[in-house]
Amino acid sequence: MPNNKLTYAQLLETNNIIQVLGEETYFLCVTRTVQESKLFPVSSYMLLSYLNAFYRYPTLLRKIEKHMPAEMIADRVRNMCSKIQSIGMGWCMIGFYLLGREMLINMGMIRPQDAAEDVAYVMNFWKRYQLAWHRNNGHITNKEAGHRSQILPERRIQVFHADMYACKDGDALHTAADKFLATVSQYAFLVACESRISMSNHGPYNLGDGREMLVRDFFDLAEGDLPWLDGVASDVPFNRLTVTTAVKDTHFYLVDDWGSFDSRPEYKSENMCGVGLYTSDELSETHTPVGMGSREELTETFDRYADIFKDATTKLWKRIASYTRNQMLDAGALTYYAIIKDLAHVAGCYEADDWMKFDERAERFRGLLNDEYGNELLGALVVPLTLPSHQCNEYTMMPHSNAPKHVHTPISYAILTGEDYVPSVGDGIRPGVTYLPPKADRYRTTQGVMTLAEFNQRCSNFTPQLCTEKFRHLDETWVKFNYKTPLADEMYQIEQQTSRKLAGKGAGLSRADVAALADKF
Amino acid sequence: MAKLFVDQDKYADGEGTPIVAAFNSALKDLVRRKLDESGGNWNDFVFGKAYSLITADEIAKIERKVLDSGYRYTCSAMISIMERPDAYKPLPGTESGAAKFSFEHPAAQTAPADANGREQRGQGDNVVKYPSNIVGIARYYRSAEQVMQSLTQGVPPDTIAIIDDSGGTLTAPILEQFKGVICAGGTVRSHLGILTREYGIPCLMGAKISGIFEGDTVELEVSGQSKTTEAYQQGIEMTVRVWKHAAKK
Repeated sequence: MPNNKLTYAQLLETNNIIQVLGEETYFLCVTRTVQESKLFPVSSYMLLSYLNAFYRYPTLLRKIEKHMPAEMIADRVRNMCSKIQSIGMGWCMIGFYLLGREMLINMGMIRPQDAAEDVAYVMNFWKRYQLAWHRNNGHITNKEAGHRSQILPERRIQVFHADMYACKDGDALHTAADKFLATVSQYAFLVACESRISMSNHGPYNLGDGREMLVRDFFDLAEGDLPWLDGVASDVPFNRLTVTTAVKDTHFYLVDDWGSFDSRPEYKSENMCGVGLYTSDELSETHTPVGMGSREELTETFDRYADIFKDATTKLWKRIASYTRNQMLDAGALTYYAIIKDLAHVAGCYEADDWMKFDERAERFRGLLNDEYGNELLGALVVPLTLPSHQCNEYTMMPHSNAPKHVHTPISYAILTGEDYVPSVGDGIRPGVTYLPPKADRYRTTQGVMTLAEFNQRCSNFTPQLCTEKFRHLDETWVKFNYKTPLADEMYQIEQQTSRKLAGKGAGLSRADVAALADKF
Repeated sequence: MAKLFVDQDKYADGEGTPIVAAFNSALKDLVRRKLDESGGNWNDFVFGKAYSLITADEIAKIERKVLDSGYRYTCSAMISIMERPDAYKPLPGTESGAAKFSFEHPAAQTAPADANGREQRGQGDNVVKYPSNIVGIARYYRSAEQVMQSLTQGVPPDTIAIIDDSGGTLTAPILEQFKGVICAGGTVRSHLGILTREYGIPCLMGAKISGIFEGDTVELEVSGQSKTTEAYQQGIEMTVRVWKHAAKK
């Protein structure tokens, strides 16, 4: 059933995204490491997640956009801690989807032009989201921005800057923050089944005087979407936490689309000279300080939370160690596949069956996914690109390797002149499967623990003031030329409401003014 | 039999590594067969009839057929071999008991004992440079059972854990109790490298060692330089040493 709905311009845009993503995938995989685990069948679960993404993302993204367009979701997310930022959206969303497609092409299950309209839609959703999320720096990815991830508007950076407590290596706050970061990082790796997708970083933001701020986000920490946290994470007080860190004598020259960073000289915690702690989600106006009433309170909070996360780590580890392989496979694959699930939360249409189950079309392949095939196929898909679909004409010189290869297969323009294709995998979600216990109907939010129905309802009904039409498009360019207006002051004061140093100060502060009010790092 | 669109490929040069080639070729055969059965119309088949014709059972048969040929898979996660011991090759070392096991990397650099009785038994990538080397007792951690045992009985003092898992989850609940870590895989950017850095635990990643057994006293040259990103990208060796101390008489 030929269906030439796609235009040349749409295909050009789609193929551009496919090509650029593929090259960055290769770079990220070469410069990072292949992660194996003695606990989780990591490669196998990744492959299962890619297949689920291919079959389900188009339908779920269309469902989400019936509630809220991609660019509006991104506008909301820019001012909160959420999984749909650098790693989740910057790379994983289209990376997982396209890797699923490439697997199926190499299995002979689909042709490159099959699901062309799905592919074009998923790429376009992603592009609109990314442009909006990156609005303040004008790029589509961190890669395009020179591997820099400057997301926040000045008004939020100023609050983070002003409210950090100074610390130095060996003092009580520094020691507590160090211990907390180690403990929560370890917990996040376990929550995410040996992947780094429960944490991400953005920045750097220049604080002046040789200091840079790196914002470190952690998500899916408490009882919420992930069934394996039911019970074991009941003492975790917040589902998402943001740690602001000021670092001296260190330049973060790379913050990539996996949310990872590199610095010169290498990052050492002894160079951390300021720290803060916040929470936020779809139901909060903006970032809410946690334990920030005094230096002593923040120190005690870090210490107490480290103990909570240590205890939760032990409980979770015991649970996972008792899992069957299918349950481990499920937990890992669902962590990956559902990395964009917060899109549905922002839009107020999250359903556990959409995100915490495997579509029967993907589930068919489970029996293939032993450890060896998982490792070999995953390796072939990203580096060294040994599958038939990766091979190009011999004159081709791929970036980073000069090999005649590409990572993802473009859609041929021949479909515009009559070559047939099937536009979509099909509308609607097919029945889902999981070996995990049923998800408990408990979701911890910044507004307390609630049922999913209530969570969706409240998300649907809540619009943060800064995301209302009154303020939504008052961007950095507007502020530059209007900072003396009452409207600018009003906008900044909303952001400053819970700031210990900037409450009521308005829009007129320079970085030097903020530094004068802040602790001396 | 039906021909698939991807059967004609000007630039393809094979199906990849042997196990990928075996599985993917068999999958293509399955698709060809089922396409024929469905009447041969690809557009009706690909996102329609194929969903009911290419079943989980048919796909699982491909994996079983490889096993039936006598092939055994290489395992990564311990749970895989625990649940299907007949499907995977035995893990080296697990059958002879921990006391007699040691990692034996062919590229481990060894040297006779120096004046201090330190015999070099390998090298690794230093995660963080510390003011001085560390000395401790080598203990292998290769399974969830060992970690569970240490959870209930505690990690013995001065343990330098030897791990072949560069992840951060296998030893998650006991990692903080290690004096040091030798990891036989990964890089300083692996999850285990990241976590030991955060905890301030000396660690060598990508270690190539030989002849270090459970209970040996080992020394890690963590006062040496840490391996840089540039060294990894340019393929430059930048390792520090692992010594075994002579047993006290």
